[in-house]
Amino acid sequence: MTSRLIFRVLMALVAFAVLARIPVGFDVGFKFDAGLAVIWAFALLSLVLLTGYVGQISLCQATFAGIGAYTAGMMSATFHVDYIVAVAAGVAAAFVLGLLVGLPALRLHGITLAIVTLGIALVFDRYVFQDHAFEWLTGGTGGWRVGQTSMFGLQMDSSKHLMGAYVVLLALFCVVALLMVNLHESGAGRRFRAIRDSELAAATMGVNLTRYKLLAFGMSAAIAGMGGAFYPLVAGSVSPQPFWLFTSLQFAAIAVLMGVRYVPAAALGGAFMAFVPDVLTRYGHGTLFGRPYEISYDWFQIAVGVLLIVQLITLPDGVWGDLRQRVLHMRSAVGGLGGRKVKVA
Amino acid sequence: MTMLRVRDMTVRFGGIVALDGVSLDLNRGEILGLIGPNGAGKTTLFNCISGVIAPDKGTIFFEGHSLVYAPPHVRARFGIARTFQNLQLWGSMTVAENLVVPMDALGRRNTFSDALHLPFSSYAERASMERARAILHVLDLDRYAGTLAGDLPAGIQRRVEIARALAMRPRLLLLDEPAAGLDAQETARLAELLHAVRERFHVSMLLVDHDMSLVMRVCDYVYVLDFGKLLARGQPAAIRSDPKVIAAYLGEESKKLEGEVATVVPTRPQQAPLLEVKQLAAGYGGLEVVRDIDLAVRPGEVVACIGANGAGKTTTLRAISGMIHPRRGRVMFGGRDVTGTSAERIAQLGLIHIPEGRGLFPNLSVEDTLRLVSNTAGHDVNITPAFELFPKLRQRRRQLVGTLSGGEQQMVALGRAILSEPRLVMIDEMSQGLAPTVVRQLFDIIRVFREQGIAVLLVEQFVESALDVADRAYVFEHGSIRLSGPAVELRADRKLVAGSYLGTAVDATAVAAANGNGNGHHVDPALMEIVSVRVPAKVKRALEQRAEVEGRPTGAVAIELLEKVDHQ
Repeated sequence: MTSRLIFRVLMALVAFAVLARIPVGFDVGFKFDAGLAVIWAFALLSLVLLTGYVGQISLCQATFAGIGAYTAGMMSATFHVDYIVAVAAGVAAAFVLGLLVGLPALRLHGITLAIVTLGIALVFDRYVFQDHAFEWLTGGTGGWRVGQTSMFGLQMDSSKHLMGAYVVLLALFCVVALLMVNLHESGAGRRFRAIRDSELAAATMGVNLTRYKLLAFGMSAAIAGMGGAFYPLVAGSVSPQPFWLFTSLQFAAIAVLMGVRYVPAAALGGAFMAFVPDVLTRYGHGTLFGRPYEISYDWFQIAVGVLLIVQLITLPDGVWGDLRQRVLHMRSAVGGLGGRKVKVA
Repeated sequence: MTMLRVRDMTVRFGGIVALDGVSLDLNRGEILGLIGPNGAGKTTLFNCISGVIAPDKGTIFFEGHSLVYAPPHVRARFGIARTFQNLQLWGSMTVAENLVVPMDALGRRNTFSDALHLPFSSYAERASMERARAILHVLDLDRYAGTLAGDLPAGIQRRVEIARALAMRPRLLLLDEPAAGLDAQETARLAELLHAVRERFHVSMLLVDHDMSLVMRVCDYVYVLDFGKLLARGQPAAIRSDPKVIAAYLGEESKKLEGEVATVVPTRPQQAPLLEVKQLAAGYGGLEVVRDIDLAVRPGEVVACIGANGAGKTTTLRAISGMIHPRRGRVMFGGRDVTGTSAERIAQLGLIHIPEGRGLFPNLSVEDTLRLVSNTAGHDVNITPAFELFPKLRQRRRQLVGTLSGGEQQMVALGRAILSEPRLVMIDEMSQGLAPTVVRQLFDIIRVFREQGIAVLLVEQFVESALDVADRAYVFEHGSIRLSGPAVELRADRKLVAGSYLGTAVDATAVAAANGNGNGHHVDPALMEIVSVRVPAKVKRALEQRAEVEGRPTGAVAIELLEKVDHQ
């Protein structure tokens, strides 16, 4: 057990070291994409907990991220607090909203729960993020500008010091991802999975459904909110557009595409969501065999749809889940050839 | 000393009274049986005690605590554990993990310390795992500790459910049909297991089961429910011979035995059978529910299949109509081999199956439901014959099927069957949940069917009524046919049939033991478990073939091969 834990910590450290170096040589655009990738990865990680572990459906994860973003932006722009305090406030706000959204989940299941969360996403999209009544939170039509701020006392500037924000964000992601992996194998994780496999059995075997479902929604929202809280720092400002209804749907689709039960799939999905559209808009036009062509952002949406259909048929456990399964299979097959005795009984 | 005290429990679902003022006392250390025919309210009472549904009236006290407002997990803390009839293991976890969850859930541990892997969490984790292994050892489940629970055959899953319940250190164990789907020998072993569990874990038990051989063998005291009311209670031996209980299971003894025998059309053995089933075996997943079924229905004949719940009657019908694939054996219909043919093709040949629960669409109107027939037959059908048969349906032609009463729904199902001009209609539990007057009416319709030359294969819980209308009958017990013969004879010997319902405990095991040596399926259950869990189906089939060629039990062949592998 402990050796597994040490292995995981090492993996997280290696992943952090490698990923932190990658964007260094690239231009600001890609650096921004890298930051965005981690933010989206947080949102997908929140779905790993909520859907992958506990089996609850949510179509309002972008709303949680948005609440995190707006709260952090407000704290930073209005009260000029250290940005890490702003992040903490954003996480707390998302956690509270998550608990509230969790309340209907105590009674609802499956498709009805999906519709309710979709409704919540719609309400926040239209009547909170874009409404005058909530200008104190959203900063009006222009949103909050977080040009210059400090984190841990260090200067942060979205236009110049993007890497600083990216490294902090990535470090946090690695820590949270590690905790999620640990949680899966632990007692609490098992209680979560028990709710997913059979709620009825979980309740009669002593699992407090109310507590664990609310906790799952709260924690999930907090994780999405943590990513969102960094959005103002990475982008320099907040607007409702990245946190609208459609982003929530996209999160759900990408989470399923990559493998909703696996933590690394969240990182993969985040990178996919942030880089592929940008790469398409940059290099998606030119001439091929003397004929001009153009691949616009729309193609990304179509590609996601097609990939999702292909994946559900060929890789039902998600891209990461099934590839992992195949690698494990191959390893055990190779091991078997190495003369290890195969135990049958 | 009373441990569980249930008083005046009443539960209504809509207009139906599922439980009507039932009281029950369970003493410490006792194994209490709860029996009754289908729909008697056993499971409802059970769900009230474990907190899954809330009663409309009544009180439950467990060791001095009132349970009325306690949610399920609080009851679990008090020491009430349960198993489920439709297995509810956590399939994506290993067997050992399944046992650890309830232990951890009862010990208060923190989600965050778990995620951080604090030493205190991992210590508790190891301690739980040790206990889980100890319990698995006692129940002889050690070798499955690392297997995913969802991959196990149903028989083993049932044992894991008991192990999981015991992991909670319960004081009261609620067992919901633990013998469902087990054959006679497995049931006997389960009975031993339950006795051992009581000795070693010091638990009291409340047992709901249809399998009387288990209840009679295990229970100290038995409560009998019927139509939501307490019908009788007493020692198992007294219950078995109680005429009220026998009547509840078999229906009222009909008085008109002499008078109407003449109306029964004499059997026509000279005619070739319309439906012929030979050596049929079928099941679900890891479970083989029926085996060695030989059965025949001649044109225009009414045949009844009777027997206790879980004896394999429904599975047999499903295998015949193509709803599930038979594992072995052949099904011939109208001289054609239809084994493994798709259900809709078989229906087109004129074999109509009305499943349990009637298989209707609740949101279609009566008329639309009947018109659907024309689609399956391929040409338009005049629906008036159905209305002539059931004039009541004509009045209700525009009503949605879902809003009809149970009896009227059954009329729609029968009407739909007759419109497709069948040669054989199979009806599963036609009278389930219906009032006696309605049931009588429906049985009259069966007579009409016979007059029109349509053969009928009935699965029925009201044995007396079924034998009244049938020409011949088959009595199912533990997945095979125990008796068959003309209905008149079976009716005359009431004790013979009652035995297969209320348990002829000694005979049942003797029969199973005798069978066991013959067909090689029950040779060594432990070995068969190994073979069924660890070995892919292809290998298993090869093993069975080899065993057949060499004329030895499969278990012995498997052992020999395993030894060979170990040597290499």
